Amino acid sequence: MVLTATVTGAAWGQGVVTQEEALAQAVPGAIWDRRTAYLSEQDLVAIAGLAHPTAAHDRPVVSYYLACQNGIASHVAYFEAHPVRTLPEVLMVVVGPDGRVERVAVLKFSEPPEYRAPEGWLRQFVDHGLDDALSLKQDIDGMTGATLTANAVTDAVRRLLALHAHLDPFETGAGGAAP
Amino acid sequence: MPGAVLSLIGTPPLLGVRSRPRRIGRRTLPALAIALAALAGLGVPRAAAQESDSIRIETLERQVAGLQAQLDSLRGAAPDAERLDELRRQIDAISRQIESLQLGQDVVEARDGRFGLGPAASKVYQVERGVSIGGYGEMLYRNYSKTRQDGSASGEKDQLDFLRGVFYVGYKFNDRILFNSEIELEHAATSNSGSVSLEFAYLDFFFTSWLGARGGLVLIPMGFLNELHEPPIYLGTERPETERLIIPTTWRENGVGVFGETGGFAFRGFVVNSFDAVGGGTSNAKGFNAEGLRDGRQKGSKAVIENVAGVARLDYVGQRGATIGLSAFYGNTGQGNTDPAGQVIAAPTFIGEVHAEYRSRGWWLRGLYTLSTVGDVPQLNAARNLTGAESIGERLTGWYLEAGYDVLRSVATTHQLIPYLRYEQLNTQDQVPAGFSANPANDQTITTVGAMWKPIANISVKADYQIRTNGARTGVDRLNLNLGYLF
Repeated sequence: MVLTATVTGAAWGQGVVTQEEALAQAVPGAIWDRRTAYLSEQDLVAIAGLAHPTAAHDRPVVSYYLACQNGIASHVAYFEAHPVRTLPEVLMVVVGPDGRVERVAVLKFSEPPEYRAPEGWLRQFVDHGLDDALSLKQDIDGMTGATLTANAVTDAVRRLLALHAHLDPFETGAGGAAP
Repeated sequence: MPGAVLSLIGTPPLLGVRSRPRRIGRRTLPALAIALAALAGLGVPRAAAQESDSIRIETLERQVAGLQAQLDSLRGAAPDAERLDELRRQIDAISRQIESLQLGQDVVEARDGRFGLGPAASKVYQVERGVSIGGYGEMLYRNYSKTRQDGSASGEKDQLDFLRGVFYVGYKFNDRILFNSEIELEHAATSNSGSVSLEFAYLDFFFTSWLGARGGLVLIPMGFLNELHEPPIYLGTERPETERLIIPTTWRENGVGVFGETGGFAFRGFVVNSFDAVGGGTSNAKGFNAEGLRDGRQKGSKAVIENVAGVARLDYVGQRGATIGLSAFYGNTGQGNTDPAGQVIAAPTFIGEVHAEYRSRGWWLRGLYTLSTVGDVPQLNAARNLTGAESIGERLTGWYLEAGYDVLRSVATTHQLIPYLRYEQLNTQDQVPAGFSANPANDQTITTVGAMWKPIANISVKADYQIRTNGARTGVDRLNLNLGYLF
């Protein structure tokens, strides 16, 4: 996979994968529709309930990307930046129509590279939905020597799946309803 | 549908994302209001709280003020399509700027403006510089048994020690060069037995996706704990003695080497100043002794380098949750010292270890075996004036096995409660030269049973009981409590 090569290549050299590149490689050939959701306090509370026990998404403005293939909405991609230790990492989480993770990729990692999550470790999130098993205590294995990264990534995936479950972007299809 | 959603269309495709005309209906105005409110109280990530981002936020605020004025003018009147389109375009631009602030401009902005063109592997650009700060520490309470293994009085006094506070500082010069360091304060104060020291301070140079070079005061890559010793990530209130006396954690020396990972294997190899087995004089080391190799460390402080040593490590990390590997150290350790007869001491020293760990699905399993040999021990003993059972060991051995399980694994909580058991045997005088004897007190067996509670992943509270026995029957059991953190 091109993305694998890119991300792995960036792992030691600390390169950056752009959103554009990450989206193109996540679902080759798809047309991506950028959307922005404006969340009310009630929305944020509801998302927090879904994300529990992980700290929930707390930003009222969030953009996401809906992939369309042959006129059908096929994937949704979310991006999030969060601190690992002091410096941030940027993740992309791609969700399929069944609400399960199809890909997690690191676009940027600013901490020392030995703390970066390797591609093989990120693959364990694939096919996970938002349930209790999506936890470092359950199905997600930790990373020796990179506890903070393992926590940050796992929390982010859980947080974005909660956001996804609340927004339910597939409900409106690729074209989407007029807001 | 929860939340108000705008499909951002009709604007130049900054990301090359499809733009598709769509009209904004009546729900647009509430969405605009939420957007404006959000922008007014925009929560910028800490990493974005830099001067350049502050300027951008000020720009956004000015734009918000303009949008607010236009929105006010639309209230109470039928929305004008053109003006709504213009507002929509402006909101699109602002939302992109918000995204750029949140994720970083280098991630959000198109590299070449052509969607779908994949980058070359390892393409590097838009370097982000910055300081990274972290740390860990632990406080340890030791409650000693009043009697020794043989029933005599132990004479030990209970102790509450802020064992160590360590602060990590890293700096990224550019995309290829990093600096890492840890500064350790041991025992809280330097006025008594405490100390302040560099645990490591090195530069990393990244050559390829799988190979880098490291130079400076480096951690010797042996065992589990020498490189990874933050309290919340290992079991036990105290580090295993095997990784304290034979692999002398925290073991750091000055040197250079390489590191990397490829094909499921991680490797590190360094050339460093060797131990100083004799110590004294201008050396900051005290030299090897019957209790092990620990006092032969030079710790990067005016290290004598008449002898260099090599150390290498290989781990298989291709199986998620599992690590299995080995490492070896070899070098002369005499550092130009002579025995009483004036003969230069070589004292070739070898340390080898194999280790395995499995940490998955609630299980914490770990095992390690190490063997060390020291040459020219009679000369070393003579140079250090060690006699009888004070002899440095010619062979040192140690191993341990430990297991823990998170009993809260199936509970939907961040808390972890991990009862654990460790069994350890070591002997720092497994073999001594003819004419000397081994002190049976150095033939130790330690059984540790306890539990670690982690309310969150970064905090640990541990309690355990250690049954300490040795061949001299002078072991003293202890009850330990440990409060640890990392950030």
